[in-house]
Amino acid sequence: MIAALRAGAYGVPFLPVGGMWGSDLVDIRPEFFQIVKDPFGDGEVVCVKALVPDYAIIHVQEADIYGNARILGPSYQDALIARAAKKTIITTERIVGTYRMQEEPRLTAIPHFLVEAVVELPGGAKPGICFPEYVAVDWDKHKAYQKAVKAGEVKQYADMMLEGRA
Amino acid sequence: MRDKLMPLSKAADLIKDGMLLGVGGNAMHRNPTLFSLELTRKAVKDLKVCGAAPGIGADILLASGQADTAYFGFFGLENEAGLAPGMRKAMEGEGKARAIEGS
Repeated sequence: MIAALRAGAYGVPFLPVGGMWGSDLVDIRPEFFQIVKDPFGDGEVVCVKALVPDYAIIHVQEADIYGNARILGPSYQDALIARAAKKTIITTERIVGTYRMQEEPRLTAIPHFLVEAVVELPGGAKPGICFPEYVAVDWDKHKAYQKAVKAGEVKQYADMMLEGRA
Repeated sequence: MRDKLMPLSKAADLIKDGMLLGVGGNAMHRNPTLFSLELTRKAVKDLKVCGAAPGIGADILLASGQADTAYFGFFGLENEAGLAPGMRKAMEGEGKARAIEGS
């Protein structure tokens, strides 16, 4: 998956990947994996198709109104997903002044020119975790989610979670 | 630089039928959960989601039936939060959603 997103970010249609030899996934998903001849030698190489999301949707702790975004704590693949995607939508715990980015430019995980929209959305990762703002799952709300999925009532759950928000 | 601040509903309106979405975060961590929940209140459909370890943010769109395909390396909520219920419902048994596991 990471190689597929890297291919998207690099602007190439696919990337060769090591480590897929022996995996049934190569046979099961020919639309995602293909074996091709090594153009430089006699061997073969597994390739994975690029993924180019139309939008990356990333929740962060801090962003400015232009879309410069900082991720505190683990960033997972989010900087890569934003680069693979055509455009990014940022939801953020809080809006900060651009001076925050200027103080420590290397901490800007996602730069403004990748971003189409910024939404100020405190609690935007609930009922999950957003370190260090809220560091435990909201179990009552999570159990309510599991029930809503089973009952086919996700929209009602959304109405409850988004109540009072514009 | 351009001011891109907008309300949640307006940002969600950028998402159109058939789009592939890269959903950030991991399992129960820093997912754009409320954005996904806002999308469930829209008519948008035939979405595809992708991520190395998508979690509840992508699960919501499979639970609502708005996403029909997920590209992932691992898809779950982890620890006590367990498996991803929306993904399971969409893919198991009579489920119509496609799983494209990328390792």
